Amino acid sequence: MTSVIKVEDLTVRLGSREVLRDISLEIEHGKWTCLVGPNGAGKTTFLKALLGSQTYSGSITDSGVEVFKNHDRNVAFVPQHPQIPIGMSVSEYVMLGRSKRDGWGNESTSSRKLVAQILKLTGLFGMQNQFVTQLSGGEMQRALIARALVQEPTLILLDEPTSALDLHHQIAVLNNIELLKERGVTIISTMHDITLAAMYAEKIIVMQEGRVLLNGSSDEVIHSPELKSAFENRINVYTLESGRPVIVAKKEK
Amino acid sequence: MKTASTESTLSPIWNWKITALSFALLFFVGILAVSFGPVSLDFMKIIKTLFGLPGGLNGQERTLLIDLRLPRALLAALVGAALATSGAVYQTVFRNPLADPYLLGAAAGAGLGATIAITSAGADLYSLLPIFSFVGAILAVLVSFFISGKFFAEPNSLLLSGIAVGSFATAVQTYLQQRNSSSLRPVYSWILGELTVANWQKVAWSSIYIFIALTILITVSKQLDGLMLTDEEAYSLGINPNRLRVIAVVAATLATATAVSASGLIGFVGIVVPHLVRGITHRVTNRGLLTIALVGASFLVLADLGARTLLSPAELPIGVITAFVGAPFFLVVLRKKRLVSK
Repeated sequence: MTSVIKVEDLTVRLGSREVLRDISLEIEHGKWTCLVGPNGAGKTTFLKALLGSQTYSGSITDSGVEVFKNHDRNVAFVPQHPQIPIGMSVSEYVMLGRSKRDGWGNESTSSRKLVAQILKLTGLFGMQNQFVTQLSGGEMQRALIARALVQEPTLILLDEPTSALDLHHQIAVLNNIELLKERGVTIISTMHDITLAAMYAEKIIVMQEGRVLLNGSSDEVIHSPELKSAFENRINVYTLESGRPVIVAKKEK
Repeated sequence: MKTASTESTLSPIWNWKITALSFALLFFVGILAVSFGPVSLDFMKIIKTLFGLPGGLNGQERTLLIDLRLPRALLAALVGAALATSGAVYQTVFRNPLADPYLLGAAAGAGLGATIAITSAGADLYSLLPIFSFVGAILAVLVSFFISGKFFAEPNSLLLSGIAVGSFATAVQTYLQQRNSSSLRPVYSWILGELTVANWQKVAWSSIYIFIALTILITVSKQLDGLMLTDEEAYSLGINPNRLRVIAVVAATLATATAVSASGLIGFVGIVVPHLVRGITHRVTNRGLLTIALVGASFLVLADLGARTLLSPAELPIGVITAFVGAPFFLVVLRKKRLVSK
């Protein structure tokens, strides 16, 4: 079976600290997998390792090839805290997503059409000549998603794609990501909000202090008793009438 | 006129007609600069002389053009192109719109090197000065790199160590100057920037280094846009960000050090010209780097023309002209385009 991302004995050290420890698991292509866990659990580092930009020991293979050696892989990365280039227009910013396909510094006519199309899809058309520094948090997030979309990746890694957004925009962005999945793109994201994660992702991986605590389908993970211990029993899981789970933090006395 | 909304496509990121236009600008400004002076030379005759056509200049006028004005204009163009390009590159690499070619202590290092040359060497000053300032600049940059330790893991730490190294070099330079007050004047005039001693030899050696540096920078310029994103985003778009940064910074520093050792410290070109081009074209992409080089060359050739002619027969330091014209012009563009923030 080659259509998986296979992680074996993954360990990442940043200085003297072990940020990820002995992680072994498989992530299926074509699905939406969500990494959840408290701050400092190593979710972002895990994403960077999956991208191939983070040095690691152990092995991560995507369809059989070690990720940091595979430069033909087309993986989009959406960071939690993007670098917002001063003076760059929205169209320039989104067009960067075509760089790997068209070659840096070139852009094909079809790319320009595609970018226009994606800008419409993400509701940014008409703003293409504005500077990215002038965008609101929600618009910037959509510009990031738009850039990832025009990259036409096979895998997209998203670090907290909804953290800067209000509820309405969270849903809008998540729906856009779901569009990607319908096009056959594999999605791996980190997310703070477990309720939202359970709503969208098919698989959930719960991390704590650099280790994987739980790994399974959203349903299994949400209803497993270990989930509570991952969050030091500070959460409650309720099930709505519709069968949808809701996770809320417990109020401390 | 076709509009984007009906066509459903976007205008190209970079219009190469702008680059062609800036070539034309440099040519025009260059001819203008060599024709003006205490003795005016005829436009058409200059062009005929340059292209080796009959009916060109002869005698004294020809000597004036070939031996004096032409090398000076060429040196100004080279220095202008080097400073503007390396400014644009530093701004991209350090993700800081205020970064300039004199960052990382390059200028202060060059200044210290030149001061050592002027205060300690008696005789052949002008052959030693470029070497000393060049070595000074390169050493300062290496020390900045060494101190920052993390290299590019944290661009701002490199910036800060550059400032520290620069302050230290300036302090040593001031100390040497005070100890050797007799050489205060030549040091001072060099620091203000001068192209008065331009000759073909100087043009030849500086053009080699500047040409190498600019060729490297323009070759990697297209990928430089990726450095404006986070390292992970750049990586996902097929770039090795750290390798690209090292190449870009080394080449930009080579260009700066050559420019500084050829003409002293000429401020403001590295900040004004890139922002001017970006402001006018409404584009920040480094595909415009060649245009920035050409506009930088034109800017400095014009500034030198001003330095030579405004108080003729006396000469103004060119650094005074660049700041005097550049600063207000820059502020107007900045205000109009609101490049800095919302």
